[in-house]
Parts: sequence; C-alpha cells; structure tokens
Amino acid sequence: MTSLAAQPEIDAPRSPNGGGPDIRAFLLDRAPFLVACVMLAVIVGIYGTLQRDVFTLDELNLDTAATLTLLLAATGQTIILIRGGIDLSIGGVVSFGTVIAATHFGDDAGSVILWSLIVLAIGFGVGAVNGLLISVLKLQPFLITLATWSILSGASLIVLPTDGGQVPAWWQGLGGAYWLGLASPVWLLIALLVFWYWFRATRLGVAIKATGSNERSAFLSGVSLTRINLITYGLSGLFAAAAALYLTTQTGAGSPTIGKDYILPSVAAAVIGGVSLFGGRGSLAGTAVGAFILTIIGNLVFVLHISSYWQPVAQGVILLVAVLASAFAEKAARAQEQ
Amino acid sequence: MDLLEVSGVTKRYGGIVALGGVDFSARAGEVHALLGENGAGKSTLIQILAGAVRHDGGSIRVDGADYAPANPDAARARGIAAVFQELSLVPDLTVEQNMWFRREALSPLRTVRGGVMREKTLALFKRYGFPSLAPDQEVRRLTLAERQIVEIAKGLASDPKILILDEATSTLPAREAEWVLALTRQLANEGRLVVFISHRMGEVRHIADRLTIFRNGQTVAAHPANAVSDDEIVAQMLGRKLDRLYPERVETATPRIALRVKDLSAGKRVRNVSFALREGEVLGVGGLQGHGQRELFQALFGAARARGAVEVWGKPVAINSPRQALTGRDGLALVPEDRRGQGLLLTKSVRENLTIAVIRRFAEWGLLSRTKEAALVKEMVDFLRIKTSTPEQPAGTLSGGNQQKVIFGKMLLTQARILLLYDPTRGVDVGTKGEIFQLMRDLAREGYAILFYSSDLPELVHVADRVLVMRNGEIAATLEGEANSEEGILRAAVFESQAA
Amino acid sequence: MSAFWARNRLIVLAYAAMLVLLLVTSLFSPGFLAESNLRSVLVLAAFVGIVALGQTFVIIGGGIDLSLPWVLNCAAILMTLLANGQNGPLLWIMPLMVAAGAGIGVINGVGVAMFGVPPIIMTLATNVILQGLILVYTGGAPTPSAPPLIQFLAVGRLGPVPVIALIWAALAVAAWVLLSKAAFGRYLYALGTSRTVAEFSGVPTLRTMLLTYTISGAAAAFGGMLLTGYSGQAYLGMGDPYLFTSIAAVAIGGASILGGSGHYIGTIAGALVLTILGGLLPALRLSSGALLIVYGIVILLTVAVGSETFGGLGGLLLRRRRD
Repeated sequence: MTSLAAQPEIDAPRSPNGGGPDIRAFLLDRAPFLVACVMLAVIVGIYGTLQRDVFTLDELNLDTAATLTLLLAATGQTIILIRGGIDLSIGGVVSFGTVIAATHFGDDAGSVILWSLIVLAIGFGVGAVNGLLISVLKLQPFLITLATWSILSGASLIVLPTDGGQVPAWWQGLGGAYWLGLASPVWLLIALLVFWYWFRATRLGVAIKATGSNERSAFLSGVSLTRINLITYGLSGLFAAAAALYLTTQTGAGSPTIGKDYILPSVAAAVIGGVSLFGGRGSLAGTAVGAFILTIIGNLVFVLHISSYWQPVAQGVILLVAVLASAFAEKAARAQEQ
Repeated sequence: MDLLEVSGVTKRYGGIVALGGVDFSARAGEVHALLGENGAGKSTLIQILAGAVRHDGGSIRVDGADYAPANPDAARARGIAAVFQELSLVPDLTVEQNMWFRREALSPLRTVRGGVMREKTLALFKRYGFPSLAPDQEVRRLTLAERQIVEIAKGLASDPKILILDEATSTLPAREAEWVLALTRQLANEGRLVVFISHRMGEVRHIADRLTIFRNGQTVAAHPANAVSDDEIVAQMLGRKLDRLYPERVETATPRIALRVKDLSAGKRVRNVSFALREGEVLGVGGLQGHGQRELFQALFGAARARGAVEVWGKPVAINSPRQALTGRDGLALVPEDRRGQGLLLTKSVRENLTIAVIRRFAEWGLLSRTKEAALVKEMVDFLRIKTSTPEQPAGTLSGGNQQKVIFGKMLLTQARILLLYDPTRGVDVGTKGEIFQLMRDLAREGYAILFYSSDLPELVHVADRVLVMRNGEIAATLEGEANSEEGILRAAVFESQAA
Repeated sequence: MSAFWARNRLIVLAYAAMLVLLLVTSLFSPGFLAESNLRSVLVLAAFVGIVALGQTFVIIGGGIDLSLPWVLNCAAILMTLLANGQNGPLLWIMPLMVAAGAGIGVINGVGVAMFGVPPIIMTLATNVILQGLILVYTGGAPTPSAPPLIQFLAVGRLGPVPVIALIWAALAVAAWVLLSKAAFGRYLYALGTSRTVAEFSGVPTLRTMLLTYTISGAAAAFGGMLLTGYSGQAYLGMGDPYLFTSIAAVAIGGASILGGSGHYIGTIAGALVLTILGGLLPALRLSSGALLIVYGIVILLTVAVGSETFGGLGGLLLRRRRD
C-alpha cells in the first residue's frame, strides 16, 4: 500500500495544519460579534469624552448593576437561540418571580432563601413544561411560550394586582455589596461568564449547539431532542427567575407587568451580540456586549442632553446594523466558499 | 462463524417492497462489496445495519448475537459504523467535535477534554494517513470532498468492528479516492469487516475480497471477487432485462436548436459547459454524482448564478430566476432533484400544486375562475393518470411516483417546451418509471426538447438520444449511437480517476 | 364536504368555540345576548379584527409583524395632531396615514425579503424606532381629541348596525377575495408553505412578501386611527395590547405560525373569541389576571388541536413518511 505514504491534499491553497489560519474566514465568522464590540467601544468612547470618570470602577459597577437583569434574562434566551428556538415566556417568569419575592420574602434569611429557591424552581418548571409541550406535541416554541407568558402574566396580576410589595432591606443591600472594589453585580457577571465557558464545554453544551445547527444530524448521532428541549427551556426559565430575584434587589418591590420589558430586549441583546436566530451559533460574551450596548446607550442619550425618547430609536438602529452586518458577513462567507 | 450474518431481511415502505428477503454474510478481515443497480436494495440494507431504519422481518446477527439497533448510537455501541452518502455532520461543530460527538473524553469538571480530543484526532489521522485537515476547522467551511473525509473519520472514531462505506469515493477527486481504497485495505488487514459500496466497478474489482449482488430488493449471488468476470457480474446485476420498461426510441430530433449553451460556468462546479439541445431531442446528462450536473440544471433554470451565453429558440436570454425561466411557450421548465423540498407544496392539494405556476391564466378581472381551473386540472390528472382520490387530496399524501407526476403536470401546464428533468425517476416505482419514459418520448415527438439527468446508467442509455458525460464540472464526452452504452458512460465518467 | 372539512376544520372549530362561549357567557350574564351588548362586543372585536388583518397575511406568508403596536400608535397620534379635531383634513390625512403605514410595511418587507433579516428582528426594530420617533416628536404631550367623523366611524351606527362593523365586513370581503379568489392568495399560501418550492414554481416571492408587510402596515395604521374614535383621543401605548391580540386572533383562527395555512375568516372568529372572553370574565367576577390566564390556555388548546399529535394534516403526512 504505497499510496498510504503520500498524503493527498484537497484544494491545495488551503493548508490548515501548516500555514496560519485563514484570517478573512476567521474574521467573517466572528463579524457579528466584532461589529458589536466596535459599537460598544464607540458608545463607551463617546460617553467617556462627554462625561468625566467613565473609565472607573464606579462606572463599571453602576453600568453592570443596570445591565444585569437584562443579561440574566438574555442568558436563558441565548441558550434557547443556540438550540434553535425562542422563549417569550421569559417575561412571564420575570414578572411572576418579582411578585412572589415581594409578597413572600420574610425578614429572615431562611425565608428569603426558601422563597428564592421556590422562585428558581418555578422558573425551571415553567421552562421544562414549555420544552415538553414543544417536544411532545410538536408545537411551535413561539406560540407555546407566548401562551405560557400570558398565563404567568395573569398569575402575577392575581398575586399582586399593582406594583408594590416589598423585600427586606438587607436583600436590597445585596445589590450594593462590595468586594475588592467590585460590586456584587460585577461578581455575578464574572460568575455568569465562568459558568458559560464551563457550560459550553460540557457534553450537554456541545449537544445543544449541535441540535441548533442541524437537528437531524444531532438526532442521528444519538441526541434526545426531548431531553434537550426540556433542559434548554428549563434553563431559560431558571435564568429568567434569577433575573427576577436580582431585579428585586434593585427595585425593592414586585411588579406584575415588568417582565414584558425583557422579552424582546433579551432577543435583541443576543442578536446584537452575534447569536444566530437560526441556531447553532453565538456565545454569552456576545450577548453580554449586546446587553451593555442596550443599557449604556441610555447613559449616552442622557449626557448628550437630548430627549430620552431617542433611546429606543438608537436601540432599534443598532439592532438593525447588527443584524444586517451578520447577514452581509454570511453572504460574503458563502461567496468565498464557492 | 461469520461476523455479520443477514438472513431473510425484509423491508417495506408503504406498498413498495424495498427488501424482499436479503441473505448475506461477511467475515472479519475482509472487504465485502455490495453491487446492484440503484434501487436494488443496497442502501436500504445498510440503513438497517446502521440503525437509521428498522427492518420488518428476517434476522441479523453480529458475532452470533441478534442485532436490531434502535438508532445509530446503538449501532455504534455494537461496533457498527456507517459512512453515508447523505452526510450526518453538524455544520457548526469543528472537525474533531464532529468526530467524537457524544463520545468525548470528559475532565473531572465534566467538560470535554480538548487536548485529549486533539491527540486522539491527530493519532487517528496519522495512523490512517488522512489528508491534511485542520481538526479545529468548522465543518460548514469545508468542501463536499473534505466533509466526506470527515465523515469517514467520524466512522472510524468509534473504532468499529464493521465499517460501512456507502459510495464514499463518489464525490472525491482521484487521489483521495485512491486513499480511501488504501484505507479500506488497511482496515481489513486490522481484522475489521469493511462493507464497500461503489458504482465504480474498477474500484470494486480492485479492492473487494468478496461480492454480493443485489437485484430488485433481493440478493442474487455472492462470489469471491476473483472468481467471476465483469460480464457475469453485470449479467447478474441486470438479470433478465426489463426491456419493456423503456419505450422504443425513434429519431424525433429536428435540426432546429432549442437550447444552445456556450461557455457556461457556475461557481466552481460547472466550468465552461457548451452544448446544443435540439427540438424533439432527449439529451441525456450523465457522470458520477456531484460532478456539476445539479448546478448545471439549476443555472439553466435561473436558480443558481452563472456566467456564459444561453440561447433559447435562437434568442439570447439572461435567466436570473425561475420566474424568468417559466415564461410560457418560450420558457424552460425544471423537474427538480428534491421532490419534497423543491418540487411540491406537500400540504397543499394536487389542484393547487398543478396550477400554482400558471394561476394567472384563470383570472378574469382579477378573480380566479374555479371552473376553468378544475377543467384543466382534470385534464392533466387524466392525461398523466395521477392516482388521487380527488384533486383536493394533499400532494404529500400521494405515492412517490404520483408526486412526481404532479410536478411533471405543473411544468407541462406552463407550456414551456424545453424541459429540464433532474433524475425524474429517482424513488419512483417501476410502473411509473415506464410511464415517465414513454411520456418523455411522446413529448419529444411533439417537438419538446428535453435535457435529462439520471443517476441510473441504463436509463440514459435506453431513453436518451445522446448523452453528455460530466466530470469535474466539464463535459468530458458526448456519446451517441453505439458509443452511448453503460460502459461508455462509465468510462468517460471515471476515466481520469482510473488512469491516475 | 369532507374536503371542505379537512381544509377548514380549524376555522369551523373556532366558530364553534365562539358560539359555545356566547352561550356560556349568556348563562352567567343574562344581559349578555342583549342587542346593545352584542353590538359593543362587535365594536371591540372589530378593532382587533382590523388590526389582525395584516397579521393574518404576514403569518400565512411565513413571517410575523411585531411592528403593529407603534405603527398603529403613530398613525393615531399623527392623525389627531394633524386633524386637530376637524373633519375636513381627514380627507387627505387618512389616506396619507394608511400610505405611511404601508410604507413602514415596505421597509419591513425589504429587510425581510431582500436582506434576509429574520422577521422577528426586522419588525421589532421598526417598532422600537417608531416608538422613539413619535415620543421625540410629541414629547409625550397629550393629543387633541379625535375628529367627530372618526368617532362616528368608530362608535356610530347606521340603523342597528355599528358603522365599524360595516367597515370590518367590507375589509373581510376584500381579504377573502385576496386570499381565496385572487392569484395573490395562491402565491401567498405557496410562499408560506415553502419559499423554495414557490420560487421553483415561478411564484414572485419577493413581491408577495413585500405585499404582506405592506398590507399589515396599512391595516395597523387604519385600525389605529379608528381606535382614537373609540377612546376619544390618541394616547401613548394604545397599540401595545394589539401585538398579543393580533397574533392570538390569527392563531385561534386556525393559522399555523409556520405559515402556509389559515384564513382571515378564521381570524374573525379569533377576534370574536378573544373579545367574548373579555366579556365573560367580568361576568364571572374574575380579574384581568384571570383573563390573561384564560387567553394563554385558549392559545395552547388551539395550537394543540392543530398539531400533528392530534391528527392534523401534518400528522397524516408524518405517518406516511414513516411507513
């Protein structure tokens, strides 16, 4: 078998083992994320030139505190989008979580911990039900999660008809706790990213990405779609519940309607950060950049002394720029392959 | 005792018998080739072996133990891996992630150990002399040939006792195809069984220890490879010729050119293709799969971008969309490759499918006339003998042959007289095949011009007036008269590979 | 008959559900079937139905339009500002606003059809941009009250029949003609069933997609202007509830969110079901929270009834494929 000695090469110009990686393909692959980073840098840059003390730990602490609810909600959404679905029930879980916390938290730590765990369990449970309905009834995630959103919103209104209730002062204080100069939200952010880089390296993380990339191939390789749906939607609910708990440390109260402010922005943050709506691609780092962009743009509008109503306009434009950038990068990458 | 024993295995798809009792056995350490025409049952059998499909009857034993895997995972657990033509890779995972998917080595933190995976990947690549591939490259960035090689690597990663290679060489350039053959031999020498399927007879003769021949869903013979002649093999593959399947071929072509293509190129897959299709002619297009036939048809139909000159009935045209191609009598109509994905609105009725391309014709003052539509639909259903309970039946519930007839009907209604037929008889029962061939000859007699790709050699030989053989995106030969034979087409299609 | 049933099963069920709800409601609230009450149900349902008209077209075509709330709201605010309580200017304002709504639809359509932006993202972006722009423009200030003509259109009557019901009926006929009697309808269902197959069949897919979003924008703008007549004036956020109800009405009316099926005739039933439920719960002394829960359950039930698992058409296909 002499031919074994000669290693054939396919399409000679590409020499993956030897030469350096194809820079163009590398950049095109990450174009959506890079565009998001550039946008964030520009926004922070302008903000920094107009306002003093932007590049300080204080500012980082403040901005992270303001971003974290959205980011927690968007973490679940990111997992769902990578799996190739969408979760609108996040809004319902966030509302329900805050009203349960605001009506049931006692002053003692025991009660707070108990009810926090209950809220997290409810979040996971609602998500798991979404996942089961999607798998077993073969139903569309959009309508299923729209329905569970509606049900949870209704339940929230029944528990607490208007904004109110309260959480213990020490619980609110947790949001402002410091360690090594960094506020607790920053530590939470770090924990979230550490979790992400661990999670996506697990077998489950790889399987979720594979399922979003090509459901049939994943299935043929032995992935159970029911299990994947149950876990991904369950995690999405869990993170939404975590967002709700965090939100109560910021607002100190519950709101039966606040959740809807996080549904579509959670999708927007992920998409701005380069997560593909078609599944299989994206990372939490991108989503975090997207969430920071959506939040800091508000600061920018403030220091520019223009109407705060420009904020949604800017957010919409950024969303369009991001999604068009990824559409064009995709097109360019495909043209390069042919 | 043989490693793999298959006895009396049957499989039906609805009314169609795919396997009507298959017996074959193969030993460890041999390369065992499965031969047969398309649709003879080879692919059904290997899908069963690989756990992608379950058999209805008969028994399979591996190492003497009963074997009926529920899914490909279970098959791999029993030491059987298949490399399918229809690739099973996940585009957004890297080469190595795909190879070890679901079998990754885990760290104490339950994460995938990238270093171990890389080592194992490189070790595997080295051991079998794999072509250079970056293990961290995402699969969606790879060419079809590279993906085929990754698919083989994935098959090997589970260290199988039995490896099934289904047309693993058909999309590969010569050198890589040769490497696959060497690999096959090496695997057999290691004591594994390699079940090898290829249409390239030369390869099979070169590599196989034993052959099992399939015909019409049954095994008809098994031989040591060196004990039979090519002629005997071909005779057993074809059996008594179903000559009545093919209509009598009468010369209907006129000198008038219907479609002239000059220096047409599309992407990397179609290069400077030139030919002329005459009125009344059935012009075959052959060659190994994946050598640019699909892209040629799509480019002509405006579904893929292309450069070059195209003349339709003597007039230069630039067709940039199927809509532009379907312009009535002067247009081109395509019966596409993927019946379910490109041809049919599965959940819509036969009526809606038939008339979608010409619906404007039934509009009076903007309102559709259901009477006119119904009349034309009835005419077409009768003409093509589409077996449907009512024209309101959803097209997706028809049999494969009748689905194909609906697509033919849709295209015939457009009145385009240049027909592009891409493998129109694939997955169609024998009776309907005969009807389709007869229809093609009838249409040719009426002055239609037909470009006809088939993955089935006898079809090209018996139905087409001339055959263009494509190789690497170019037209390698144009065969006519005596030269238009299965052997001639195969020779032109693989000559380069065989010579290398 | 069986073909009719197979094709329209979900729509017939939606109407059946509506009738059952009417009866149940009248049991709990004896005055419910009174003429005046039915009339007010019809008026409220008409707003949902008119706004959901465009959503129906978009969803049948395989997309979704999340920009409805602020297209509606912008049209309402601009109309009241421009008309300033006068009937006369409506002659040009109303066509202008409908055209502007259609224009937003064109932008959505271009993004989705030509640039390949996912519909959810495209229409979400136009929605927040419009929201911001109109807030910047008005500064959040209240607007003049709606002109008398608009109020007449929204709550007036011709004999026993509410004017808006007549408008709704006229739009329903137009939608029915487009969907069932015109080539456009065939193109739309083909597009929603499979864009590739539609393209390979010569369907003008780009134009068809553009048109669906255009209709959606125009219908939302028109509905927004009429809504000011009901509430007396335009106010910020008046469109927000219509995002949910427009999608819910289409879903309850039997359309698949994946596209390719459904009909405006079904959406009408969906709008009526949602409105009657809104009347039933107060009769049962239930809160608005309970209403949302019931909405959610109704959506779950309708999509479950249409799903493969319960023997829908898709289930039939799937079974064929398996054997």
